[in-house]
Amino acid sequence: MKYTPRLPEDNVNVTPVSPLREFFTLAGGLLAVVVVAYLALGLAVDLIIPRLSPNVEQKMGGIFVKSFGTSRPDREIAGPVQKLLDDLQRRCAKLPYHFNIIIHEHDAVNAMAFPGGHIVVFSGLLSQVTSENELAFVLAHELGHYAHRDHLRGFGRALVFMAISAVMFGPDSSLGGMLGNALTITELSFSRQQETRADEFAVELVNCAYGHVGGSTDFFEKISKAQEPGIFGHYFATHPENRRRIDHVQQFARSKGFKTMPPRPLPEAFRSNPDIDE
Amino acid sequence: MFDLITLLVLIIIGYTAGTIAERRHYRSIRKREAAYLHLPAVTLKSGGYPEAEVASATLVYGSAVISIDYFKRILAGLRNIFGGTVKSYESLIDRARREAVLRMKEMAGGAAVIVNVRIETATIGKNANKKGVGCIEAVAYGTAVTLRPSG
Repeated sequence: MKYTPRLPEDNVNVTPVSPLREFFTLAGGLLAVVVVAYLALGLAVDLIIPRLSPNVEQKMGGIFVKSFGTSRPDREIAGPVQKLLDDLQRRCAKLPYHFNIIIHEHDAVNAMAFPGGHIVVFSGLLSQVTSENELAFVLAHELGHYAHRDHLRGFGRALVFMAISAVMFGPDSSLGGMLGNALTITELSFSRQQETRADEFAVELVNCAYGHVGGSTDFFEKISKAQEPGIFGHYFATHPENRRRIDHVQQFARSKGFKTMPPRPLPEAFRSNPDIDE
Repeated sequence: MFDLITLLVLIIIGYTAGTIAERRHYRSIRKREAAYLHLPAVTLKSGGYPEAEVASATLVYGSAVISIDYFKRILAGLRNIFGGTVKSYESLIDRARREAVLRMKEMAGGAAVIVNVRIETATIGKNANKKGVGCIEAVAYGTAVTLRPSG
């Protein structure tokens, strides 16, 4: 057998295909699947939420609330805040919840609504508010989230979606992280809408309880003046565009013909914690 | 957001650097393959030369390690979801094998033929940790048969 040396004409082992094209085809396909899944999830969440029993909700809330343990001095202030909230609920907001106030020792000027009617109020909020109306507005805002069931909507999709990403790509894959980032951004713009609705709910509630809406926007004014990301960073993260919200609340109150009167000062009972007092 | 930018930068670096390196490597491979065309490397057990003509028969080997780039890894990761031919890894293995054979030929020096050639591949750094750099090594080995100078 004669050996004739020659080079092969083409390489059979390497597919002659543009890697960029392959990349965009695959990434596009993946993105399409994710978008469809995300939309389907949104629909699924909307279907599930009205059917979720208070019992299940209570259990879900337990998971989140565990991390906010109530400590010694908090119990003393939790009472008055709880009373204010119960009063608001009884008189003006008939919501099918048994609300439970949890005071959490933290500088953040914020309050959060958790599933099952647990409202976490940060001690930073109590040290900053000056009038009862102001605090009532913040609580009413949280009640607004319950009225629109935002507290479930937000958590529901985020939780299910992150679980799916974790199952598909593992818990700490770069793809999962990428999707997680994209999710938070869209979820944030979604919650902005919810905040506006909750604000409107709160204005109506405060007007119902006090007969006027004076002091409602004090809370925002205070925060937009003190632009310190260190202390208020947390608040800004979930409640952006304070200026826009003040304008919207005032405009909404005007359109409803609500009056503005001097707010009622905050009773001393709300400030019994020596750590918070200046 | 920062993670996303990092990822994009890594992909772009991986793509450009990887493509340039691959093109340059293939150019070199083709040039050297043409230069070593006179030295056959075959899988036959013997070159068919009479024993009297053979001066020496020695083991020759060549190995090459080629690393994947970030772009190829992402592309393979996407392939992992949908299935199919992992085309982005094909050129890596092809380059490693051909480079290993070329190095083996370089080692053979003035031999007439390399017989009984085998090519093997191994992965390197795959189990170091989950995000370790994936490399493949190709080893080519055979027996270089050198003939006595005739006349």
